[in-house]
Amino acid sequence: MMDDFERQLQQALQKKEPSPFFEARVLGAVKRQGRERRASARMWWASAVAAALLLMTGSAWEYERGVREQAAGRQAKARLELALKITSVKLQKISRKVEGI
Amino acid sequence: MKTFMKFAVAALLAVLPLAAQDIKMPVGLDKLAEKASEVVDVSLDGALLQLAGRFLSEKDPDEAHVKHLMGGLKGVYVKSFEFDERGQYKESDVEELRAQLRSPAWARIVTTRSKREGENAEVYLKTEGGQIAGLVVIVAEPKELTIVNIIGSIRPEDIRDLGGRMGIPKIDIGPIKNDKKDQKDKENDK
Repeated sequence: MMDDFERQLQQALQKKEPSPFFEARVLGAVKRQGRERRASARMWWASAVAAALLLMTGSAWEYERGVREQAAGRQAKARLELALKITSVKLQKISRKVEGI
Repeated sequence: MKTFMKFAVAALLAVLPLAAQDIKMPVGLDKLAEKASEVVDVSLDGALLQLAGRFLSEKDPDEAHVKHLMGGLKGVYVKSFEFDERGQYKESDVEELRAQLRSPAWARIVTTRSKREGENAEVYLKTEGGQIAGLVVIVAEPKELTIVNIIGSIRPEDIRDLGGRMGIPKIDIGPIKNDKKDQKDKENDK
């Protein structure tokens, strides 16, 4: 019983030669992991830059839209004032004439 | 007889939507712009009126008043032409507009004619279900033609009374005196 256990332990602890190209495979895996990590970091940065650009473009567009709307609103208000001015003056004149008849 | 009735019903059905439509400014009026020395052309549809309304302050009493008046408006269209000389436009230029105003929905509430000054003015009101739904003002002066078309619920006196507010001049020319009556009064005084 004890001998069997010792034999198994001996086999387990026995020095084994690595399989051929083991070192190359390990080094390849390390390099690959490094490449993937760098690609992932690049991807993260690209996404962050894209998001920042999108945010900046969106903000600029929103600001521009606000400025355009302000200008259009002020222009519409001025036009309305002009229309009301013309109409009011004409109606006042008509009213005076009607009152004078 | 049946054929006539069918035709009459078809004609009525064809005309009814026209009567319900808002009036259109005659396209021919744009040609007057070439002859005019000054042109004012204001076109404010419902969306632009809403936009203008957002820029009228509630804090300013005059602007708040105008904002309140605008609540029932769907469109404001004004065309005004000023000419250097007389006779630059014809009555026929406005006839297309008057023809539209002959529909039952419209009623001419005021007409003033002054041979001496050569000034004619007409005010038309459109009513729908007892409510004012439109206002048209046509003022033809020797060197000026003005057409106002307001779509929506507004009383002419509300616009007239804007005089003195928002930079709109308040015309204080006093009632026009009757020349013949004045002459008689003067003779009696003597």
